[in-house]
Amino acid sequence: MLSIKNLQTSVDDKEILRGLNLEIRAGEVHALMGPNGSGKSTLAAALTGRDNYNVTGGQVIFEGRNLLDLSPENRAREGVFLAFQYPVEIPGVSNINFLRTALNEIRKYRNLSPLESKEFLKLVKEKQKLVEFDVALSNRSLNEGFSGGEKKRNEIFQLAMLEPKLAILDETDSGLDIDALRIVAKGVNKLRTNDNAFIIITHYQRLLEYIVPDFVHVLYNGQIVKSGGKELALELEEKGYDWLKEESKERELV
Amino acid sequence: MISRDIDTLYDQFIADFETKSVLMADEPDNVREFRRHSFEHFRLLGFPSVKNEEWRYTHIAPFLREVYSTSSEKPGSLDQSFLSSLQIRSLDGIRILLFNGKYLPEFSELPPDSGIHVSALTGAYQERLVSDYLGKIADASKNHFVALNSALFEDGLFIRVQDGRRIERPLHVIHVFSSESNMFVQPRHLFVVGKASEVSLVESFLNFKNEAEIFINDVSEIEVGSDARVQHYTIHGGCENARYIHHTEVRQAERSVYNNYKASFPGPAFLRNNLNVSLNGENIESHLYGLYLAGGRQVVDNHTIVDHLKPNCQSNELYKGVIKDEASGIFNGKIYVRKDAQKTNAFQKNNNLMLGKKAIVDSKPQLEIFADDVKCSHGSTVGQFNEEALFYLKSRGIGEERAKALLIHAFAYDVLEKMPLASVKSHINKLIDEGLKT
Amino acid sequence: MSNTNEILERLTTESYEYGFVTDIEMDIAPKGLNEEIVRFISHEKNEPDWLLQWRLKGLHHFQKSEMPHWQNFRMPEIDFQSISYYAAPAKKTKLNSLDDVDPELLATFEKLGIPINEQKALTGVAVDVVFDSVSVKTTFREKLQELGIIFCSFSEAVREYPGLVKKYLGSVVPYTDNVFAALNAAVASDGSFAYIPKGVRCPMELSTYFRINAQNTGQFERTLIIADEGSYVSYLEGCTAPMRDENQLHAAVVELIALGNAEIKYSTVQNWYPGDKEGKGGIYNFVTKRGICKGTNSKISWTQVETGSAITWKYPSVILRGDNSTGEFYSVALTKNRQIADTGTKMYHIGRNTRSRIISKGISAGHGSNSYRGLVQVGAGAENARNFTQCDSLLIGDECGAHTFPYIEAKNNSAIVEHEATTSKIGEDQIFYLKQRGIDTEKAVALIVNGYAKEVLNQLPMEFAVEAQKLLAISLEGSVG
Repeated sequence: MLSIKNLQTSVDDKEILRGLNLEIRAGEVHALMGPNGSGKSTLAAALTGRDNYNVTGGQVIFEGRNLLDLSPENRAREGVFLAFQYPVEIPGVSNINFLRTALNEIRKYRNLSPLESKEFLKLVKEKQKLVEFDVALSNRSLNEGFSGGEKKRNEIFQLAMLEPKLAILDETDSGLDIDALRIVAKGVNKLRTNDNAFIIITHYQRLLEYIVPDFVHVLYNGQIVKSGGKELALELEEKGYDWLKEESKERELV
Repeated sequence: MISRDIDTLYDQFIADFETKSVLMADEPDNVREFRRHSFEHFRLLGFPSVKNEEWRYTHIAPFLREVYSTSSEKPGSLDQSFLSSLQIRSLDGIRILLFNGKYLPEFSELPPDSGIHVSALTGAYQERLVSDYLGKIADASKNHFVALNSALFEDGLFIRVQDGRRIERPLHVIHVFSSESNMFVQPRHLFVVGKASEVSLVESFLNFKNEAEIFINDVSEIEVGSDARVQHYTIHGGCENARYIHHTEVRQAERSVYNNYKASFPGPAFLRNNLNVSLNGENIESHLYGLYLAGGRQVVDNHTIVDHLKPNCQSNELYKGVIKDEASGIFNGKIYVRKDAQKTNAFQKNNNLMLGKKAIVDSKPQLEIFADDVKCSHGSTVGQFNEEALFYLKSRGIGEERAKALLIHAFAYDVLEKMPLASVKSHINKLIDEGLKT
Repeated sequence: MSNTNEILERLTTESYEYGFVTDIEMDIAPKGLNEEIVRFISHEKNEPDWLLQWRLKGLHHFQKSEMPHWQNFRMPEIDFQSISYYAAPAKKTKLNSLDDVDPELLATFEKLGIPINEQKALTGVAVDVVFDSVSVKTTFREKLQELGIIFCSFSEAVREYPGLVKKYLGSVVPYTDNVFAALNAAVASDGSFAYIPKGVRCPMELSTYFRINAQNTGQFERTLIIADEGSYVSYLEGCTAPMRDENQLHAAVVELIALGNAEIKYSTVQNWYPGDKEGKGGIYNFVTKRGICKGTNSKISWTQVETGSAITWKYPSVILRGDNSTGEFYSVALTKNRQIADTGTKMYHIGRNTRSRIISKGISAGHGSNSYRGLVQVGAGAENARNFTQCDSLLIGDECGAHTFPYIEAKNNSAIVEHEATTSKIGEDQIFYLKQRGIDTEKAVALIVNGYAKEVLNQLPMEFAVEAQKLLAISLEGSVG
């Protein structure tokens, strides 16, 4: 589904990603871990086309298309979804109006007719139930007045509504208490199918207890320095990242 | 009081310039040229009326109708007890005394630090810095009173802080005005703060009660070098017979910090403060804090301009007015953010506590924004004592007057807390108490 | 951001969709302003002598007046002698029914989406339609008459209700008020008149639709609305004009009078031709609007959505004379290309316990310039006056300007006045968030701007709120980068 080859990205002329490689197939869940500043969120930004994140080299193929050629909205319409680490507030724009616009734009891109109000509201209800997100949405502005936890859960709800092929969860677990974490994880697990894939960016192994990944990658200094199964996360939890830093230094020396 | 047409004073200044040009014949060419063309501006501009937007709320004409002598008196002998009465308690400042705008070195402390130079402005004409900066920071072409001062100033201070010097003790500049007969005096000051230096400047303005009216039209130009830090306090007290047009123009270079703290109290019948700061480099910070307690039939007018010319600068302004009796409190604050000044943060606030039944508050904050990547806001409020707070204090056994005084101190606190010098802070608190009693 | 910038730019330079010209037989007065033309207009309208005399006073005052210079834009040179002050569709007989209306004219209003055929009309909205200088049709008149509500063109009101007109005309905006008010008094051609009798709640929206069509003419309508004791009315005006290279002057006067316990809600959706991308052509919209809350507990509320005109220059104001009266001003002003808006309000607190509320949202895009100018004045006798003002500016692109000039004047120490203003750039993180959800920049900006303006749009009558939202989105097209 997604093939990242030798991806290099810089921010303000500072190189952050230094040749990152990653292959993701449909049905897989990949966890991306690593210390602060290793480039995890930069990868999310580069994949979704954020301004100021300049891709200076490499290639990203998503479902056979060169993702980097597309505008951010077309990447979204192709099926790349980012659950933001800090979801933005937009005063005066109601959640419902926003979601409907987004959904219908994506449908239009895929040559589908827009959803009628009734169908749309039915879908909202259904998905709200699915991800256990019972916040009243119609009279409230997008993310405004939401608690930190509610914002993160709203991201998962949008994920459920828009049904992307690839979802990137950027530190969705940060700032969540254990109950909210469980609900979020449950939602994600319900949304997992054989046709979609997830990249879960996290600092902690905690989230991975609930969303069990197929692969765990460790990002350090802009590169994936180690990959493994879910047991790698446990090992990291136990030993921290220092040993990896040592290892990678040694490698550089060699 | 003799009342006469405002034009008479204008004519007097026009005639004055003729006479003075003879006296000023030995001044350097550049100074004479500066005076001459400033005079042309004044000749064209004359005095402002309320039709002028900058004077909309400030009726100055009544103060210009009196007969003033335009030459100032020299001081008699000043005794030690008088001098110490001018001090701010527990402020360990370097005393610099001016009498009717003239520097008196014999009554001032000579700065112990070689990094600082203090002299009379007219005695420093040979200094390159004076010719570099005099009249270059304050624009005489648009301001009636700056033009008049520039044409006819007598003398004032020149202070220079050398690059890289940190002046430990604050400079306490005391401006005393006194005259037996009506006097119009025009001091002119220039402060040049070198690169990466640090200095605190405390200015006190005082006069003594007598029959003679004193009109003070002073202009200060302040150049703040790159990376320099300046803390600048001005305290206007004194008596009813003084009228001030106090104009301060500041130009800041990159990475400098300029903080201005203004406080004024009941006394002078008329006080117009102009404070213009231009942020002429990147990464500059400017803070303007003002407290004005106005009483009697006082007219107190604070006009500020914060001009953002370059990117990545910050300014913050807070002016608080307490208007008693039949006094007028006027605030006019402008923030300009020029086209180049992206990433500007500029904030401005004016709060007024309106106490007198016949008090008047006029507030005019203004934002003029020509760049897009900015965060700017302003706010202005007019209000009274918070009834709940007043009741709370009273219910704890505090009398009405005391409770109100407490709330006024609390209101002033937002400004006072910004002042690093504790001695100035407590001096101002004392002046608030005195001002409330009058 | 470069991509976003391009789109923003395209968004703010989009063309104007109401710019067509109707080819219709017109009676047009010769160009020029003089006593003769004022007499001609008055004669053409069969006016009583007192009105002619009033017009002439207006003319003489205009001739003595100078152009103001305090506004925040360079005042264009207007050659008042090159304007024709009267243009009317030629009519053979008096209009009695819709059949008498020129079919071209009917088609024009169909095209504009303003049905003047009652069968097709929006239910619950009575419309007075003003084409150049004259009112061509007022719908639902009879139905309103049953309740004693008078809703007709200004000229008809002069003929049929001279007492009311004489009593109130010029009582809120005298011809001496300003140079354009003087001009309007002299040459006012038509406009709308409404009177709501005591205790009547007007059951439908009253609406006037203004259309400038003829070339080299100005439009100078006069609107007078009187809400008698305990009555309520909601009134809405809309306007469009053809695209022309010359600027055209629109100098209207609106006077509102609310007696005791009465309420007037006045909404404007202003979409005059704004000129082209380089600022060529467009309407000079110099309008004086003022209401007086004459009686106790009365209320006047202005809502305006200003997207058109080359220059919009107006301050819909309220004189709060009656005790416990309330004034409100809600405004969205959008400028793009070379458009200029210098708008705001004046609230004069005179009575006791008066309240005012001002919400202003300025949006500047392209080379547009937007100024808020507002006065809150609390007189010495205005015990317990309260004002709240919130005034925000949104900047789209780095060539535009936003300016805020509030004036607060308090002469009573029981006043509480609060003014807040902010200026900021449209949020790049907000645009990116919406783009990440598949919404393109143009739509994203429209969503954000509509959200930003929501507090004001919410004040509009339902039918028009939707229109106004669309208008904002359309106006932004081509301006967003």
